[in-house]
Amino acid sequence: MKNTFYKLAVVALLLVLSGCGYNQFQSLDEKSKASWSEVLNQYQRRADLVPNLVSTVKGYAEHEEKVLTEVADARSKVGSMQVTPEVLNDPEAFAKFQAAQGQLTSALSRLMAVAENYPNLKADQSFRDLQAQLEGTENRITVARNRYIEAIKDYNVAIRSFPNNLTAMMFGYKTKPSFTVANEKEISVAPKVEFGDKK
Amino acid sequence: MKLHNKLLALFATLLLTSQLAFAEFVAIPDLTSRVTDLTQTLSQGQQAAIEAKLQAFEQEKGSQIAVLIVPTTQPEDIAQYSIRVAEEWKLGREKEDDGVLVLVAKDDHRMRIEVGYGLEGAIPDLYAKRIISEVIAPKFKQGDFAGGLNDGIDRLIGLVEGEPLPKPETPAFNGTDLGNLIPMLLFGGLISGLFLRNMFGTFSGSAINGSLIGGIVWFLGLSILGAGVLGIIVFFITMMLGARGINGYGGDYPSDYDGGSSGSFSGSDVFSGGGGDFGGGGASGDW
Repeated sequence: MKNTFYKLAVVALLLVLSGCGYNQFQSLDEKSKASWSEVLNQYQRRADLVPNLVSTVKGYAEHEEKVLTEVADARSKVGSMQVTPEVLNDPEAFAKFQAAQGQLTSALSRLMAVAENYPNLKADQSFRDLQAQLEGTENRITVARNRYIEAIKDYNVAIRSFPNNLTAMMFGYKTKPSFTVANEKEISVAPKVEFGDKK
Repeated sequence: MKLHNKLLALFATLLLTSQLAFAEFVAIPDLTSRVTDLTQTLSQGQQAAIEAKLQAFEQEKGSQIAVLIVPTTQPEDIAQYSIRVAEEWKLGREKEDDGVLVLVAKDDHRMRIEVGYGLEGAIPDLYAKRIISEVIAPKFKQGDFAGGLNDGIDRLIGLVEGEPLPKPETPAFNGTDLGNLIPMLLFGGLISGLFLRNMFGTFSGSAINGSLIGGIVWFLGLSILGAGVLGIIVFFITMMLGARGINGYGGDYPSDYDGGSSGSFSGSDVFSGGGGDFGGGGASGDW
């Protein structure tokens, strides 16, 4: 008799948990982590491009030291950051990460603007290749960020809505930080690195 | 006549409201063929020629390439519009993500080659960029849109050709043909079910029959999930054939069978995306 009662209790608990969104948290949590990895992936890809880009630009525009140093500094700052999945649960670390990447974004766009003044640089094939790669990477970053924002939105909505919020409180699930709008404008517009035929 | 006017008015209102609804972003057209030209730039012959080329390529290699020509993507950047289209159309096979979208915004003088995840190695961004600036743009500048697209697509096909991708499913085993096999499988399954039940008893016989049919269907090209579901259905049906043997199956079998499997099969008259994913790879350019 007692045995049956326990069994029933376990079944009831399972039903309650799944009804209160616990399982939903699991899948949304995984999804947000996966999209976060994609964001990191693409930022890493961009960071990997920087050294080549800097050395190529240096070959033609040596005395643009200020911009070049800026890029190198921003790159090393990004590189020195310890980015773990835990960043997702720590709004402060997340903000720092975002700031560092934003700094690299703006330094890179300044570098590209400077490059505009050097016709020889613009004609250099390896520079053009790097430019295409950078452009593609910036675009991938935008896509990855947007998907991350979507995933976080789903997750946060699930955590905040009733009665899921009770479950979330019980198991210590907190809302996750997303990319903020103020920064969004700056980053979602890929730096203008077009050196096409338009003047 | 009056009705006619009313209809016209209704149509105009609908048009107006739909225009308002999409005032912000350019709508994504439905994917019905490999070349979607909303600007009437290509002649019917040119369009058909490109479509035929892309279709032949898909049959040979399995990758899906589609072309979309729109007047403009404003206020969005072409890359933002293009990823929206790619997410909606889902070009490329689901597991391979081997789709490519060639997008032209004619009035903006912008174009983009959007490359699916699975082809980012075969078509790196800088190759896509070069195809745009060195192959397509010069022709577009002269107003030769069909020529530019043709040459660009040839280059894309050339790049994908070199990529080791799984062969496309052979036409003999595609959805419709598997559908034709169903009556045979059904009949064979019944006979084998009766035999197996006699040989191994109700439960084991049914289980063996279920896995047998599931295995055959899987071998013929159905997904493992579909085959599994089918196998389980066959198992239950064989169980239910009943002690009375042959009399039992007259009623239930066909309807149950259809209900369990018809969802997996679909005809392929209209072109549609295969479920491929995109991550923003590719390049944009202007002319």
